[in-house]
Amino acid sequence: MKGGPSQEEIRRHNLGTLLRHIHLRGPASRAVLAEGMGLNRSTILALVADLTAAGLVREELPRDTGRRAGRPSLVVRPESTQVYALAFDVGVDRLAAARVGLGGVVLDRREAARPRGAFDPDEVVGALVGFARRLVRKAGRDSVCVGVGAAFPGTVRQSDGMVRFGPNIGVRDLELAPVLARRLGLGLPVAVGNDANLGALAEHERGVGVGCANLIYLHGDVGIGGGLIVGGRLLGGAEGYAGEIGHMVVNPGGRRCDCGSRGCLDAEVGEPTLLEYAGLPADAQAGRDAVRAVVDAADLGDAAARGALHRVGDWLGHGVANLVNIFNPEMIVFGGTLRDIYLGSAAQVRSRLAVQTLAASRERVKLRTADLGDDATLFGAAELAFAEVLADPLEVLTRLRVPGEAPLPAPT
Amino acid sequence: MNLTGRARPVADPAGRLVARSGLPTGASPRWEPPVTPLLDVRGVDKSFGPVQVLHEAALSVHPGEVTALVGDNGAGKSTLIKCLGGILPMDAGDVLFEGRPVRVSGPRDAAELGIEIVHQDFALCDNLSVAENMFLGRERRRGLVLDEADMERRAAQALAALSIRTVGSVRRPVGSLAGGQRQSVAIARAMLWGSRVVVLDEPTASLGLAHAQQVLEAARKLADRGLAVVLISHNMNDVFSVADRITALFLGRTVAQVRASEVTHTQVVELITSGRVTPTL
Ligand SMILES: Nc1ncnc2c1ncn2[C@@H]1O[C@H](COP(=O)(O)OP(=O)(O)OP(=O)(O)O)[C@@H](O)[C@H]1O
Ligand SMILES: [Mg+2]
Ligand SMILES: [Zn+2]
Repeated sequence: MKGGPSQEEIRRHNLGTLLRHIHLRGPASRAVLAEGMGLNRSTILALVADLTAAGLVREELPRDTGRRAGRPSLVVRPESTQVYALAFDVGVDRLAAARVGLGGVVLDRREAARPRGAFDPDEVVGALVGFARRLVRKAGRDSVCVGVGAAFPGTVRQSDGMVRFGPNIGVRDLELAPVLARRLGLGLPVAVGNDANLGALAEHERGVGVGCANLIYLHGDVGIGGGLIVGGRLLGGAEGYAGEIGHMVVNPGGRRCDCGSRGCLDAEVGEPTLLEYAGLPADAQAGRDAVRAVVDAADLGDAAARGALHRVGDWLGHGVANLVNIFNPEMIVFGGTLRDIYLGSAAQVRSRLAVQTLAASRERVKLRTADLGDDATLFGAAELAFAEVLADPLEVLTRLRVPGEAPLPAPT
Repeated sequence: MNLTGRARPVADPAGRLVARSGLPTGASPRWEPPVTPLLDVRGVDKSFGPVQVLHEAALSVHPGEVTALVGDNGAGKSTLIKCLGGILPMDAGDVLFEGRPVRVSGPRDAAELGIEIVHQDFALCDNLSVAENMFLGRERRRGLVLDEADMERRAAQALAALSIRTVGSVRRPVGSLAGGQRQSVAIARAMLWGSRVVVLDEPTASLGLAHAQQVLEAARKLADRGLAVVLISHNMNDVFSVADRITALFLGRTVAQVRASEVTHTQVVELITSGRVTPTL
């Protein structure tokens, strides 16, 4: 076995793979797991026993036996109420937090509107910590939090989670991860990721893109974000900044973008542009409801709204066409407010695609709307939070379950 | 782009109508593996008294795909789907199911093939619950009593599979639902019965935006689950947001059957209004 993985490494890998399977695909019998993982039944038996002992899974009769004859076999289920992660989503207009059980079940959630204006880190962190306290307090005494993840609308450095630049929310070089971790006081690090990258991950793992290894997720909030799944993995680039599709220039010399450039997809398709084209006064109510109101008005025949959608849809089409030519994706997923914008301007988007892409590249591309709705980024943050326990289940659980050191919610 | 002039559809050797080179195909003619459509209707003639409404109309639908059927008011879309649903007898025409010739001489024949049509004025019983409506006429029986729990569970599963979340409880009477919710129930019902072809005749007409979007997404999900879906719509955004293929009828004739990715909005509008495409690109 010189140079090969050790027995211990193989076991860790198998434990992680099995837990991941249960976490993402739901309860399964040992036979199904054996088949899916290509391992023999006795190995599966041992792995399940280890995970059960650690309190990560439990075996029981399937709830939904139908009424078939014969003895149903046991299924391995995630201990969803016992093992959970905290997920945060910082949006320009909304702060959200959820306690998400292993298996991806939202056990509890909190959200609040965020007024637009200057970004105040203390205020945002304070609000998230407040959510977290309430979420953790409601959790059972013997349950365990295995990770914390946060989605943020900005470029995030992979190595340390530093938020480098969030033009839509007005942030530069924000040390969100350590500050949030310290204030939470759970004894856990906080993993921070770009919101659209996490949306891509969530749609790939739990949404419309399950089983699709090459997927591009486009997220509309105030601006346009993007995340790329290439060969089944999130594309990070050298430092984690990859996927800033919103700053791809589609209209050289076009509208000014918050990033300092001109004619970015963000500037041509983003919320302020749509609202301006629709003839809304600059001080009118903004936000996702305003975007949806424009799409709604267009649907009812409002000419200005329709014209506005056609204009932004055309630029969106330029962007999508470039992406199709470069990445040959199987699927493009429109999430956040882009779901509504796409459904309201699909004719423009598809027309650009038909004209500006190579036939071979577009032949099989599917244009889809996000399955997880506005929660794709929040779910992605949860997946980020679960990453560690899925990589090494026993080590993480042993560390967190040490008696006396079990993290309790910090007092209010 | 090899645009050589107007697109007159021509019959390929198999008798299917295909769009010729007038439509932009991007590069040189693309080789596509010969796929057998799940349902293939050809040469459909239909007259009402002295008025011939369909002239050798054709429609091919494929599993896993949404085929949009477009055409002006009175082009014959509803008539064509009523013919393939066995509601109207066709004067002439062939129906192939998985490549085999079949006879559809009544709604029962269509149902047996797994063809489910959701008409615009689809019938649901207002006084029955969502679950009961979804099982209407096909109640699951356990012994001799209706197994309500089982019915409700399966109804809820079907709605969930299509991400239809707004209906609420499956015990709600259908009479209390809004238009889009009713449409969603009708679509989910189609899924429950192991249908293979689901035809939606103008499902989003008269719906508000949120409900229309949900119905479109449900149609998309049906196709993604492997069903063949036919969507009749006048709304180009509906068509382009979910369709894989577009079939255009003009004055009762099929003037194009193309992939949605090969045509532009303008071209489809031209097909609808004039039955042909001029090279505009
Ligand atoms: N039962 C009938 N008796 C006589 N004429 C009919 C009958 N049904 C339809 N027609 C006529 O057949 C033609 C095609 O009608 P059909 O309803 O198929 O059109 P359509 O494409 O569905 O139009 P729309 O978009 O308005 O629904 C029309 O001219 C219509 O008036
Ligand atoms: Mg009609
Ligand atoms: Zn920019």
